[in-house]
Amino acid sequence: MVAVGKQDALLAQMRKGTLQYCVLALLADDERYGFDLVRSLAETDGMVTSEGTIYPLLSRLRRDGLVETTWRESTSGPPRRYYRLTAAGRGALDAFKGEWGRFRDAVDHFVERKAG
Amino acid sequence: MSTTPDKLVERYLKHLEVELDDVPRDRRREIVDEISGHIAEARAGLEHETEADVRNILEGLGDPAEIAGEARERFDVQPTPPPAPYKPGALEIGALVLLLIGALVIPIFGWVIGVVLLWLSNAWNVRDKLIGTLFVPGGLGLSVLALSLLLASSGGGTSISGCQIDPSTGREFNCIDTETTDPTSFTDVLTVLLVAALLVTPIITTAYLAHRLRRHPGAAMA
Repeated sequence: MVAVGKQDALLAQMRKGTLQYCVLALLADDERYGFDLVRSLAETDGMVTSEGTIYPLLSRLRRDGLVETTWRESTSGPPRRYYRLTAAGRGALDAFKGEWGRFRDAVDHFVERKAG
Repeated sequence: MSTTPDKLVERYLKHLEVELDDVPRDRRREIVDEISGHIAEARAGLEHETEADVRNILEGLGDPAEIAGEARERFDVQPTPPPAPYKPGALEIGALVLLLIGALVIPIFGWVIGVVLLWLSNAWNVRDKLIGTLFVPGGLGLSVLALSLLLASSGGGTSISGCQIDPSTGREFNCIDTETTDPTSFTDVLTVLLVAALLVTPIITTAYLAHRLRRHPGAAMA
């Protein structure tokens, strides 16, 4: 049971660590507002369990200068805060993509071989 | 439209705000605003909103405590530690003792040091510190001074209890009503009451401060 608990915690940490790059990747082509961004992340199974936890992350990314925001009027309600990638954000995303590819291949190399 | 969903949302946001209490204010505002906007967007997308819909939206967002935990982690906010069992330090004890009897040991300065210690300590809030400073400047030193002035002025030795003490033998004598030697006027009664108040007040203040010490560790933070 202890081992399972530890594994859960590890997976949660991995998810948390990679989540910000998923957010940056979602913003790579287009600016998006919070609700839209959160829904896209939540649609992918296993990425986000509580949608509300994305907002502290967005706030942090904005303060770190990886995203910037603009308020825009909405046709269906109150104005929306749109998030957009900054140059620094794009740089961070690209750097992560390279690292992630190598990391994923390396892990696959061992995990898949043992499984198969 | 029923007001219940509005109440649910209101309660949720209030709960969130409370949970985010130790997150810096601008970030707290931003998160609460964004989540409030999220709820508004989700509700606007519903054709016929039911209470269940709103409950689902809130459940999807997650427990406010979880969101606050995430915010603390993202902003490196240390969670407020559980209040440690409080032990008054030398500063607090020194302040209490010197405020009360400091002026008796070193005239004036003993009390002044007590005041400095009182204001240095963060075990009391500003209100407590003001009480400690103003009631009564000099502590028992002032009371003793006032008492001796009273004794000196009331015909060379009439004490409050109505006895005179022979300065050479130390024996009480002439234990009769003060009225016979020094007719009590209204002013005299007032003076005696004032001196009595001066005697009692510092003791009450010290007891109060000691009491606050036990009940409100770190009250200055509030």
